[in-house]
Formats: sequence, C-alpha cells, structure tokens
Amino acid sequence: MKTLALFTMFVLIFGTASTSLVNEAYAQDNPDILLRIAIQADKQILNQLDKFYGDSIPSDIQILYEEGHTAVESLGNSLPANIEQAKEDFLTAMKSFKQITRMISEPNTESRLTISDNDLKSKLNRLDKYFQNLKTASEKHNTGIEFSEIQQLFTQAHQQIDSGETNLALETIHQLEIFIDEIKKKIREHSSHSTSDRVKEFALKHLIKIQKMLEDPSIDPNMPELEKANSLVAQIETLISEDNISDVKKKFGELNKLVKIIKNSIR
Amino acid sequence: MNPEIVPIHRKESLREDGMLFVRTEGIFDTMVKIPLLVASMIIVAAVMPIQSSFSSPRALDLIIYPDGTTHVSTEIDVDPLVANYELELFGNTIDNLVVINENGFLLTVDIIDNSALIETFGSSVITIEYDIHDLVSKQSRVWTFSLDAPSDFTLLLPQNSAIITMTNIPINMEIINDQNQLTLSAGDTEIDYLFSTTPVIPDPIDSIDFVPESNYLLYAIIGGVIAVIVIGILIIIRSKQKTVKTIQNASQIKQKTETIDAETIFKLKPDLREDDKEIVKFISNNGGEALESDLRKKFLQPRTTMWRAVKRLERNGVIEIEKKDLQNLVKLRKNMEEEE
Repeated sequence: MKTLALFTMFVLIFGTASTSLVNEAYAQDNPDILLRIAIQADKQILNQLDKFYGDSIPSDIQILYEEGHTAVESLGNSLPANIEQAKEDFLTAMKSFKQITRMISEPNTESRLTISDNDLKSKLNRLDKYFQNLKTASEKHNTGIEFSEIQQLFTQAHQQIDSGETNLALETIHQLEIFIDEIKKKIREHSSHSTSDRVKEFALKHLIKIQKMLEDPSIDPNMPELEKANSLVAQIETLISEDNISDVKKKFGELNKLVKIIKNSIR
Repeated sequence: MNPEIVPIHRKESLREDGMLFVRTEGIFDTMVKIPLLVASMIIVAAVMPIQSSFSSPRALDLIIYPDGTTHVSTEIDVDPLVANYELELFGNTIDNLVVINENGFLLTVDIIDNSALIETFGSSVITIEYDIHDLVSKQSRVWTFSLDAPSDFTLLLPQNSAIITMTNIPINMEIINDQNQLTLSAGDTEIDYLFSTTPVIPDPIDSIDFVPESNYLLYAIIGGVIAVIVIGILIIIRSKQKTVKTIQNASQIKQKTETIDAETIFKLKPDLREDDKEIVKFISNNGGEALESDLRKKFLQPRTTMWRAVKRLERNGVIEIEKKDLQNLVKLRKNMEEEE
C-alpha cells in the first residue's frame, strides 16, 4: 500500500511537473533555427551591398559586415555545444546587419503604407478571409444567405488580377466590398433576435444576483448608490419586458458601475 | 559525591551541540496520512491546468501580406459574468473586423481609437480577426515589422521575403506553403525583411541535426513515461526484496527460538472456533506470521469477516497485530505458554 501510494505520488508529481518541463522544452530556442536565419540574413545583406556598392563598399559598412559575418561564423562554431554563446552571436550578427540596413536605406523615405503600396492580390485575399469569417457566422445563424454570386465575383477578381486587368479588378473588388457589407448587415438583422435573447437571458440572470447583493445587510442603507441601483434594476426589468434591448444594454452598464462602487464600500 | 542523574535516553540523544536527534524511520507513516497526501496531490494536479487555462489571450497569430498589411487573429478567454470586454488593438487603421464567440455568433463591437468594446454578454471565449496597417513600415526596399506583443505569437511572413535582421531570438521557425512562420516571445519585436527574386527559404543545415520541436515534446513525454515506469518497478522490487528479507529473517529467528505450533495453541485455547483454528494453522505453517490480506486470499473471506476473525483471535490472546506497510501483519503470540 505504501509502495503504491509512493508510486502514485511520484506519478502525480511527475505529471504535474512534466507540463512545465514540456513548456520549458517548447520555449527552448532551437539553435539550428538561429543559424538558418543568420545565414539567410548574411546572404541577403551581401546581395544588398553588391547591388548598392558593387566592389566599392564603404569601409565603415565593410567593418560592420565583417563583424556580422564573423558573428555568423562564430554562431556556427558555437553550435550545438554552446547555446548561450550562439544566442549572443545571433544577436551580435543581427545588430550589425541592422546598422548596415539603416545605412544603405535611403534617408527620409520612411513612410506608412500608402494606397500605392497596396497589392491587389493581398487585398483580395484579406477580403476573402473576412468573407469566410462572415460566411461561417451566417451559417451559424442559419440566415440562408446565398453566396454563389459573391464567390463568382472572387473568381472573377482573381482572373482579372492574373491577366493584368487592374482597373477591372479594382472595380470587382469594390463590388465585393459592397456585397460583403450587405452580408454583414443581413447577418446582424437575422441574428438580432438571438442576440436580444442572449442579452435578455444574461441580464435576467445577473439581475437576480445583483438584487441579492443589494440586499446585503452590511451595505449602508443611506448610500445614494444603493437607491440608484435599486431603481435601475426596476427600470431594466421593465425594459426587458418591453424588448428594448439597446436601452437594457445601456442601463446594465450604468448598473454595473454602481454595483462596483457598492461592493467596494462593503470591503 | 552527588552525581547528577541523567536519564539514559536523554544522555544518548543529546550531543555536545545540544542537537536533538529523532529517529525518522516510520515518521512518514506516523505523521503523514498517505491517502490524504495522495488526494491533495490529485487536487493540485487537477487544478493546475485550470489555473493556467485562465490566462489570456489563448492564441495570437499574425500574417503579413505582401503589401505590408497584417492580419491579426486572436482568441481570448473572457469573463462570462461581465457584459463587455475591452480589447486594446495594435493600432487604429483597422479593416475587416469580425468578433465571434465560442458558439460562432457574431458579436457587436464599438471601436474607439485603439480599443474595441465588445459586447460579450455571457460569452467565455471570443475570436477576433482584423486587418491592420500600422505594424509594418517601409524604408527604401526594407520592410520593418514592429510589435509590442502581449503574449507569445506566430508571425507568417510573406512569400519570397527574407529576414535581414531581428531584435530577439525566435522560439521556433517553420515553413508553411513556402513562407517562413516564426514563433516569437511576448514583448517588443522588430523584424526587417525584404523581398528577393531568388528563393529565400533557408536551407536546412546539414552539419547540425535538426530535431523538430514536436519531436522534443514527444521525446520528453516518452522519456518521462519510461522514467516513471523504471522508477516504479525499482521501488516495487526494492520494497518486495525488503519484505521478503524481513519475513525470511523473522521466520528464521522464530524457527530457531519462539515458534509455537498450532496444536499447542489449540490445547491452550480449546474454545477456539473451527474456522479460527484454520487461520491459526495457516499462520503457524507460514512461520508464525501472515498479512491479513494473505489470510483473506487464502480463506476467500471478505475484508470485514476476516477482520472480525483476526480481532477475535487477538482478544483470545492467540495473536498480535502489527502495522506493516499500512497492512495488518498477524503474528502468533510468543509468550502464550507463560501467560497460561
């Protein structure tokens, strides 16, 4: 029995500790990844330097590149034995490459993305993702909305982009945006009934709890918030019976604030 | 001469430095209720994952599109007892925002500057997806992604993009549809990348054995299970050896000195019940002692019946009961003849 108990305890302790062990293992840096990223960055920086300067790389940039490249080599040598050194080498290489990047980038050209940067394909893909999310929600709400037309438009836009018909593609994307907005509105209309049911259910459940809390004898009966809260409870009940959900939401927000104040006064 | 009288036991246990030495053998049995301890451990083990599951957000995944726009997808645990949840967005140029609860229902959201006020009304998990234009900037050919992330997150870089610098060490990197996906830690992160016409998927390094992360996880679990089994077996073997040794030693000593045969006992205790006599015979043949559990197995008796029989024999002065490894060890009494 004692042995069994000890064994059970050991298994439980191991089971409990193993989750943190696994997390630790997950968080451990994969040293190979560092080397792969560093080598890739080194190649790209060298390409950039070739493009910008050819054979006449400025000496300060040359020194920085040498530092970075040496750190990448050291990173390769540090692995797999010395991971701490490898991490240090990785960060040293990245620091040097960052300085080079800043130096070779043209000054004062930093800008937030403008419409000219937008790639139509990216825009269409994002719109598709948005549409898929709404489609899922629509199916959950059983709206019965027909999506075949919008799917056709997506195919059309992709074809237009592929064939270089930019203006036509832009037009189709604009059409898609309008359609998707309509779908969203339809889903909202369709789901308004279930949403109001959800809000009502939530409010009624919490009103009971709040009422119980307001009856706590340790609350100062002369507290002005108490009277206001009781009044709001009555108002919300009336609003629920009238199906006035938007006002229920507003009043419920006000009531929650008062409840917080009252709870703090008890403490 | 008036020598100070010192109790012998105190004299032995108190050393010069005044330290009190206490025998710890058996302290585990006497001081700690093992079932209670095991139950506590079970509760602790059960509660731990619950506690950790309350951390939010559950997941944060980002996708950078070739035009620099970033798609954010996050899943957050929210308090079902609260009507609203306020989420700080990563910027204020937001498009295509969708918030869905755990049942797939679309939730109403109000965006004010950088924050979104979501009407959760009883939801416990919400999924938020949006596109944002604030996370990536461009200087010359270099694109820079920067984010102060509230949790660890994954970042899928665009196709044909090549990382040229990054400010912190990634947790992991995977290739998904010819795109680099990094797993990064919470906190400030800055990554510079550019687009290359040449393939930019980093080559695996031949000189270093690459072990995918999932394998580490698998190895950790398998290793753990093996360790548990091996240690468990060792503990059982050791305790069995101990028990066998102890019983063997005890029986050897008894055989030499103190064993009373069953017939003698029956003569001394003629009023014993027949079924009790059978028990006494078995114990006697077993070297004068037996575990109560072994008696139950031998006589195919329920626990309570055997317990009553053992107690009856104890009352009659035939046996004595000792605790051994949380079990009852039933021994024939040595000094029955003297008592009679």
